[in-house]
Amino acid sequence: MKKFGNFNIAALVIGFSFLYIPIILLILFSFNESRLVTVWGGFSTKWYSELMQNQGIKDAAWVTIKVAFVSSTMATILGTIAGLVMTRFGSFKGRTLFSGMIYAPMVMPEVIIGLSTLLMFVALAVDRGVFTVTLAHITFSMCYVAVVIQSRMSSYDDSITEAALDLGCTPFRTFILITLPIILPAVISGWLLSFTLSLDDLVIASFTSGPGSTTLPMKIYSMVRLGVTPEINAVSTILVGLVTLGVVTASIIGRRQKQQTI
Amino acid sequence: MSELHSVNPWLDPSQKPYIQIENVTKKFGDFTAIDNLNLDIYKNEFFSLLGPSGCGKTTLLRMLAGFEKVTNGRILLDGEDISEIPPHLRPINMMFQSYALFPHMTVEKNIAFGLKQDNLPPNEINQRVEEMLQLVELTDFAKRKPNQLSGGQSQRVALARSLAKRPKLLLLDEPLGALDKRLREQTQFELMDIQEKLEVTFVIVTHDQEEAMTVSSRIGVMDSGNLIQVATPTEIYEAPVNKDVADFIGDVNILRGIYKGQNDVGTQLHSDDSDSIVFATQEVGASTGDEMWFAIRPEKLEISKKKPTDQYNILNGRIEDIAYGGSFSTYHVRLDNGRILKAIRANRVRTEEHHLTWEDEVYLHWAPHSAVVLLS
Repeated sequence: MKKFGNFNIAALVIGFSFLYIPIILLILFSFNESRLVTVWGGFSTKWYSELMQNQGIKDAAWVTIKVAFVSSTMATILGTIAGLVMTRFGSFKGRTLFSGMIYAPMVMPEVIIGLSTLLMFVALAVDRGVFTVTLAHITFSMCYVAVVIQSRMSSYDDSITEAALDLGCTPFRTFILITLPIILPAVISGWLLSFTLSLDDLVIASFTSGPGSTTLPMKIYSMVRLGVTPEINAVSTILVGLVTLGVVTASIIGRRQKQQTI
Repeated sequence: MSELHSVNPWLDPSQKPYIQIENVTKKFGDFTAIDNLNLDIYKNEFFSLLGPSGCGKTTLLRMLAGFEKVTNGRILLDGEDISEIPPHLRPINMMFQSYALFPHMTVEKNIAFGLKQDNLPPNEINQRVEEMLQLVELTDFAKRKPNQLSGGQSQRVALARSLAKRPKLLLLDEPLGALDKRLREQTQFELMDIQEKLEVTFVIVTHDQEEAMTVSSRIGVMDSGNLIQVATPTEIYEAPVNKDVADFIGDVNILRGIYKGQNDVGTQLHSDDSDSIVFATQEVGASTGDEMWFAIRPEKLEISKKKPTDQYNILNGRIEDIAYGGSFSTYHVRLDNGRILKAIRANRVRTEEHHLTWEDEVYLHWAPHSAVVLLS
């Protein structure tokens, strides 16, 4: 193996520091004894126990988890269908337009998605709340699931489906017994991905939420405006931990699935 | 005669065909994959569809399985029109080129899958799975997953799975394409044994002409969406209907010439390739001056340094290349006009007395009944 040059090591250190020092600082200071955020006063977990006493944060966390769970489940169902349809139909007139339209929310500025969904809810006179936040989250995370499923389906041998039909299995049972179990890892990683996306979304939630539907990122944001407290560090650390867990699990599942197909 | 007819049901007009493909056309958009095709296949046949890639053979097979709908015409199985029946309701099973084993199921479960769809009682399913595993000699591998099997084992699982439901008709799409040569030859014989033992009608798609010759009762040679010739392997090889078939099946030398008429030996041809007159015993309906061709297989050309005593069917040239194949050698002989013909000679003697080598002047000669006259 080639030895790393000094330049490469330096580049690596600087790059990773740039990415992770802020997050590491945040995690470190969440275990700070002192009330002052920037002054180290010894190790303590007291901000975590204080967090448990804060009803506002607990409510926000509960709302966030509810929204994330429902929206990621719905987004997974819709995104899986979209991904399957895009591969199943092969090429047809306007296919590029269709697939482009599925992916568009990935590159669309979040402000635009938030604003447009807000305008729609206002126009339809829907009361904003947990329901509208969930809907908005389904909209933007669905495309991520569709991408994951579509990339899985590109290595899926269609004759497996045909073999099941040929052996007397109805099309619906074939989907349940054959296709779904085979693509299940992709479905799960799609779900985890949309769950974490929903968990840390601030912009779209701010636009589409109403009274009683403050999500955790919104709560943190509003608390920060009154000054950063170690409590915020603590709740952010938990959030970072959750998101990391989701992403890592998704990638492990993805890797195992790749091994299985080879 | 009656015995001959039971072996060759297509010669017996009283026999009813098992599969009738009637005026079937398949179009994909503007592209015609199958063009008004008619074909009868009989019970217990081992029928091969042979042709270059893109000739429509796989499309035809997929229409039999029900994965493609016929655009026009109809397909009958045992007298019943199955053209509109979806694949999962057809009493036909297929073995896929990619084997298409279910990767999340064990070998056992793969084989049992079709039987479970019929809601058979569990003990009967187990018994049949056991039977199938014995048939393909994979009893020890029952609990393995497909990704733990070799290519040959996967192929046998796929075969067992498609036979488990005891279909009346089994379709095989390039079943041996992924195996190496030695395994392929061995598996060809296994396939023939299984087909005979289970009395199933096999329709196989292949682009490998040797494979088709070995396994088939009859071969249908396809090109551009149509059947050019349907006949037994021997007939296809020894009496091809045109140059394309002669060229596609095996090696062949084709002499072009002008029809000179019939005499007591047979059809007489004036060819640019030979100074002597060439004859074939086969008689054809043609008139003087028509263009036609003689097809002669390389193993039917005698090659020697001595001028043959006959006055006809003689070509002379120079050996340009020799391919030594152990049991036989193939000689590439360049004629005086520059054309190259192939002749095959069995190496019967270890130390060749009349040894032939590069640049030798040689004569090629063939018996009048060895050449086939082709009009197109």
